[in-house]
Amino acid sequence: MIEYLKYAGIMFALIIMQKTFIELIDVTDYNITPDIVLIGVVYIGIKRGKITGSVGGFISGLVIDIFSFSFLGLMALSKSIAGFLSGFFHNQTKMERYLGSYAFILIVSFCSLVNNFIYYLIYFQGSNLQFADILLRYVIPTTVYTALFSIFPVLFSKRRRFSR
Amino acid sequence: MKTLLSYLGNLKEYLIFSALILISLILIFQNDNVQIRFIRVIAVNVIGVVQSGFSIIPNVFELERENKTLRETNINLSNELSLLKEAKLENMRINQMLEFRQRTNYAVVTGKIVGKSLIQTRNNITINIGENDSVKIGMPVITDKGLVGKIVATSASYSIAQILLNKDLKVSAKDQRSRVDGIISWDGEGKIRMKNVSKSSDVIIGDIIITSEYSNSFPAGIPIGYVTTDGTLDNLFKNIELECFVNFQTLEEVFVLKYLSDDDRKNLEKKFNEKSK
Repeated sequence: MIEYLKYAGIMFALIIMQKTFIELIDVTDYNITPDIVLIGVVYIGIKRGKITGSVGGFISGLVIDIFSFSFLGLMALSKSIAGFLSGFFHNQTKMERYLGSYAFILIVSFCSLVNNFIYYLIYFQGSNLQFADILLRYVIPTTVYTALFSIFPVLFSKRRRFSR
Repeated sequence: MKTLLSYLGNLKEYLIFSALILISLILIFQNDNVQIRFIRVIAVNVIGVVQSGFSIIPNVFELERENKTLRETNINLSNELSLLKEAKLENMRINQMLEFRQRTNYAVVTGKIVGKSLIQTRNNITINIGENDSVKIGMPVITDKGLVGKIVATSASYSIAQILLNKDLKVSAKDQRSRVDGIISWDGEGKIRMKNVSKSSDVIIGDIIITSEYSNSFPAGIPIGYVTTDGTLDNLFKNIELECFVNFQTLEEVFVLKYLSDDDRKNLEKKFNEKSK
């Protein structure tokens, strides 16, 4: 239970950061920012499995939706799917390897691609943007930016292992 | 039961995930923004395509119902069509009559035939106009095609006319081309003949026969028919058969010419005939 509260606290902190600090480091003309909440969701998914990953993704996504005052449920949907997918990498024997190596970056990249794909594809429905534009302007840049930010937990995990 | 529970336990992750997706979708579709409207349009199109695919499979009850409705519609449309056809034909006839009415020099009264006999030796027609319409006994009855007959009886609202297919009606006539005179009468067996035409007279097949100015009952120049048979009756006269211009089988409307014979002329001729006797 305490562990879940810890996860909840981390996720809440990540959401606050996402809506405050991260907004300041946007790139390109389309205000692309890394999705650090997703990194947290993937981390929980790998650590606790599909159920925790998808529920964590759903709750955090819903909170972001509520904070952003638009399109309630969309972020919850994409984050639930991403969290569920990350749960496939939950394996007690390989967990340390997944979380402490560059495999984590690959998993985050994959989950981020799915998350962004679902989110932006629905988000831009009815606009004049073509599928390729959505992919090149939003989905791939956000995925790459998020993947870059996923290096920090890997480094943190390595340092902790090293100190141990 | 145990197996089922264990199976459901294995599916727990997927069931929870499905529930989360469902909740997300419900939340998404609660929104009323452009994206959702667009997705709704896509969904409606997809459902439409699927439904059109399923519509290939015939629904027997629906087909039966549709068939019944179509049959009823068909009957109604057929009735309507026949009424329209009738109206069109009537319109054409009335137009022709109107043209004739404008052409003719005499005042005319238009009447509709309400009774007709064509199988007797003395055939008549009953017209729905009478003394109230200034119709009098002796007035000629015609159509735009030619002579029909003459009025022989009248009441306030109806009148009866002898037609050419009546043995009692004799019409003084002449060949329009050669001006040869004769008397038109019906033989009672289906032929209208022109009598009193001498063997040497110039009458040939196709000649048009019209009313003569010698007639005391009809104005001169009304077409009657054309010659179909030009044979020899005996040593003195020709056997001339006519085909009437008026088709009595299909006749529906007629004109009554407001023309009456000249009484002065009639009296003189009568007096002379009596004296001769």
